[in-house]
Amino acid sequence: SGELYCSLLNPRNVHFESVNMKNVLHWSAPEGTGNGVLYKVKYSVYGVGKWIRKPECRNINSTWCDLSSETSDYEEQYYASVKAFLNGMFSDWVETTRFNPLTDTKIDPPMVSVSSTDKSISITLTAPEKWKKSPEEESISLLQVYPGLQYNVSVLNKKTKKRWFFSISNHTLVVPWLEPGTAYCVSAQIHVSAPLLDSDFSKDHCIATLKDK
Amino acid sequence: TAGNKIFHFGACRVSMSMTEIRTGFTAIKANIQARDPIRTLSILSYPHSLHKVKSSDRCCITHHLFDFYVDKVFKHCKTEDSFVNRKVSSIANSFLSMKRKLGQCHEQNQCMCGQESAEKFQQILANYEGLNVTSAAMKSLGELDILLDWME
Repeated sequence: SGELYCSLLNPRNVHFESVNMKNVLHWSAPEGTGNGVLYKVKYSVYGVGKWIRKPECRNINSTWCDLSSETSDYEEQYYASVKAFLNGMFSDWVETTRFNPLTDTKIDPPMVSVSSTDKSISITLTAPEKWKKSPEEESISLLQVYPGLQYNVSVLNKKTKKRWFFSISNHTLVVPWLEPGTAYCVSAQIHVSAPLLDSDFSKDHCIATLKDK
Repeated sequence: TAGNKIFHFGACRVSMSMTEIRTGFTAIKANIQARDPIRTLSILSYPHSLHKVKSSDRCCITHHLFDFYVDKVFKHCKTEDSFVNRKVSSIANSFLSMKRKLGQCHEQNQCMCGQESAEKFQQILANYEGLNVTSAAMKSLGELDILLDWME
């Protein structure tokens, strides 16, 4: 006789997606299930015993849950787990690998602002801020989180297509001896050597040097 | 070598290449941590994080930890995966050279051991001895990023 199949297949690919330490748990629905599947989420701090439920992610039908607040201490490491249920059936708890906010986050490119004279360009770079609970909360620059943070800057002469690369620690750069009346495009990337983290390059910020006086 | 960085532990200054260790560990981190099913205990962070150690005790704790990893951890981390084994032995070699460098500071009395570092290290040993050797070694290896994050 057929065995009554009471358990639901497991959620799949349970993992953290983290940008600037905004840490969001993501997963895929159990295979073959359409709508109607609900989920609940719990998390734990590595080395500490208990699992903690996330009330805002109880009986949800979305396949993500923002755990940024719960995982904001980047000196700790974490696990999270998801369980699916549908029509009285439920899956196992499925866990993430160990999540280390410090090494497992992705960093956004820096903000770039440029100004020019006839023969030089001044570039000001701003590192992104760490995720924060609310706008009122004090901002923490990723520069404070990663003291060894550096900027890789690319400057392109649009006319000659010549490109320069600079690697700087402070947040301003003046590029001298440029051609007057010429368009230059600047793009920058964040580089952290410990732990090894590189952002993408920012989009191009183009500006023309002033014409000769 | 590439990625060498000068670490300041009070009067003790040691040049170390962390990049190789980081890269090696990152390559095997998921594999090693998956072999550690115990979520409720941390060798290095329980009950107190390394980040709570006073700066004056940093040199001594670091020296103890290099000894700990070389003498008690790496040799018990053999796996059936040759890729993992190669990475572990490469990390072990890097630790061995750093252990020697820090040992010189220790001999020149630039690496003083206060009560706090002694207590902290005793706690780490107690956590380690609370598990069977292979589990304890694999867990310690899986926590290498905790040590590296703290050092850097």
